[in-house]
Amino acid sequence: MDTFIQLTVDGLTLGSVYALIALGYTLVYGVLKLLNFAHGDVFMVGSFIGFGALQALGGTASPMVPVWLLLVLVTGAAMAGCAGLGIVIERFAYRPLRDAPRIAPLISALGVSFFLANSMQLLVGAEPRNYDIFTLDNGSLYLKGIDIGNVRVPLLRIITISSAFVLMVFLWILVNRTRTGKAMRATSFDREAAAMMGINIDRVIVFTFALSGALAGAAGVMFALRVPTLVSIGFVAGLKGFTAAVIGGIGSIPGAMAGGLILGFAESYTQGYITTKWSDLIVFSILILFMLFRPQGLLGRADIRKV
Amino acid sequence: MKKAIGLALAILTTSVVAAGAQGGQKVAAASTASVSCNSTLKIALVTPLTGGAGFLGNEQSSWAKYAVKTLAKPLGLKVKLVLGDTPVEQGPAPAQSLAQKYVADKSVVAIIGPSTSGAVAASSTTYGQAGIAHISPSATRTSLTQGTTKEATPAFFRVVPGDYIQGPTDAHYMIDKLKANKVVLLDFQEPYSVGLADAVEAVLKKGGVSTTRLSAPNTTTDYSAYVTKVPNDADIVFFPTQKPGDAQTFAQQLIEKGKKAKVFGGDGSNGPAEFKVPGSYVSNFAPDITGIPADKAIVAGWKKDNGGKAVGSFGPPTYGAVQVALQAIKKACIKGNGTIKAKRDVLRQVKSVRIPNWILGGSFRFSTKTNDPLNAKFYIFQIQSNGSYKLVG
Repeated sequence: MDTFIQLTVDGLTLGSVYALIALGYTLVYGVLKLLNFAHGDVFMVGSFIGFGALQALGGTASPMVPVWLLLVLVTGAAMAGCAGLGIVIERFAYRPLRDAPRIAPLISALGVSFFLANSMQLLVGAEPRNYDIFTLDNGSLYLKGIDIGNVRVPLLRIITISSAFVLMVFLWILVNRTRTGKAMRATSFDREAAAMMGINIDRVIVFTFALSGALAGAAGVMFALRVPTLVSIGFVAGLKGFTAAVIGGIGSIPGAMAGGLILGFAESYTQGYITTKWSDLIVFSILILFMLFRPQGLLGRADIRKV
Repeated sequence: MKKAIGLALAILTTSVVAAGAQGGQKVAAASTASVSCNSTLKIALVTPLTGGAGFLGNEQSSWAKYAVKTLAKPLGLKVKLVLGDTPVEQGPAPAQSLAQKYVADKSVVAIIGPSTSGAVAASSTTYGQAGIAHISPSATRTSLTQGTTKEATPAFFRVVPGDYIQGPTDAHYMIDKLKANKVVLLDFQEPYSVGLADAVEAVLKKGGVSTTRLSAPNTTTDYSAYVTKVPNDADIVFFPTQKPGDAQTFAQQLIEKGKKAKVFGGDGSNGPAEFKVPGSYVSNFAPDITGIPADKAIVAGWKKDNGGKAVGSFGPPTYGAVQVALQAIKKACIKGNGTIKAKRDVLRQVKSVRIPNWILGGSFRFSTKTNDPLNAKFYIFQIQSNGSYKLVG
């Protein structure tokens, strides 16, 4: 039972980060029908912005502010930086191609991905960067927590999981309960009709990219709080986030959340109960099975076209 | 239309075959083309400069540059160092394409590296066929130089001992000094870690130690599920990664989950800036050279060129590998009366190189039986509470 609880907590931590990345993919796809393959690299940039902010605030050894404020500021800096990056990417890499064939922005997205990875390498080097949260407050984020049976759920995991869920709820409210969200849904449903109804499409798209970038920034920090970050992590993280989005049903916000959690649990339980050696094989087999038997994903809608 | 497509395909195929043949001729021509010893000769360092093991390449390149700068001129040689990147995450492909590039370049007369065992296995045949000496400062997989099915050609040399020494050294330390009863071994599904974990596991099993083997993809970043699988009563987790930051993460996650096991890393985990969880162990082929009086001037010179950086364990053997290569080039130049007639001329001289004041202490020569260093050994370090590495075995 202890192992099950432990693996569930592991899966939940991993899954909540995947879900945040998947939400970024799904938001952009929902509004623009574009697979933003640069999203994984925005996530990577977010983890580095967080690292920079952490150092600017004195690092984990001698922080200038209380721990909770430090975490809020670091996450906030990454979210703001990545929101800005999302806006820049949209303006220069996607907007000029908005009316081009669908393959053009896809190639542009791949180009942006390589550009970001290589630029970051030039800027910060190839070495991994460790937030070193273990030294923060004498390791309290690792060593203190809630006990479930014999299993201790450390504070850091509780913070990661709860922050991700707060962001997801915030996003859901934003999209479903606000005027901006209504404009996003309208643009997603029919861009031209939305424009005719007076919605500023450019503004909606820019906002979507900013939102998507902010989520990637938050995910980048949540990821890097626990493991060292590298300029090359964007590819794998992006792939996992994309897989989660597809499993959940790309374009669907609850789907992306569910897809991320399913992927996190699948990875964790596979490694815990079946095999550590072939866990990626099994995880990506789930993606193939979804593509074969439910291509619209768990909560997505089938794209029916009348001829 | 069909005829036109067929014709186009035929032309394309012929061109590809012809280009390939021409490339082959170019390679053959480059490996036998003579170069004057008065011209600028190139040696190439093949190492991961980017990716998770980027720290390794950066450390090695700084020492290789320093070695070329200080050692070439006294030998009367003009040498340029070129760098080739082999990120560990990209598997064997970069090593293969770099080998083809260097073989085709007539001024490249020796290779320092490849640094990782996987890269050596992927490229040694190409270097071997062209007769280029490739001298690794850090590839330790046993089967590169030993056994019935060697993965490297006779043109491959290494200046550090292999896992045939590291594996038993680590395992005996766990049995004799740490009195381990239960050890978990994790490999990363690539040649270096699988070979080393196999070597350690074999000795542990022979010594009656209970072992559990886990395996993680080389791209793993979060080890939570692996840590969960470590039994509560395990004494040690052998973690032969090539990314010290991952060893740090793993050791922290062990503490996070209340496991008492200590992390024991191989030479690839040896990175004091990244892996610093107190109580953990690492093994390495090089001692701390700052404690060797004869190396004082070398260390001071290197530090001056590198902004006072701390001396790691991967750099000094790279200096040694460059020293071996330069000596071999010099010998080939003398034998060829100022001309290296073919790259193989340098290769022929490598085995006879003797270095009386070896940077890692004592003197250096290759074994007569294999292309491994004679009488080399591995060292065990324990990480102290201030993060420093203390030699314990």
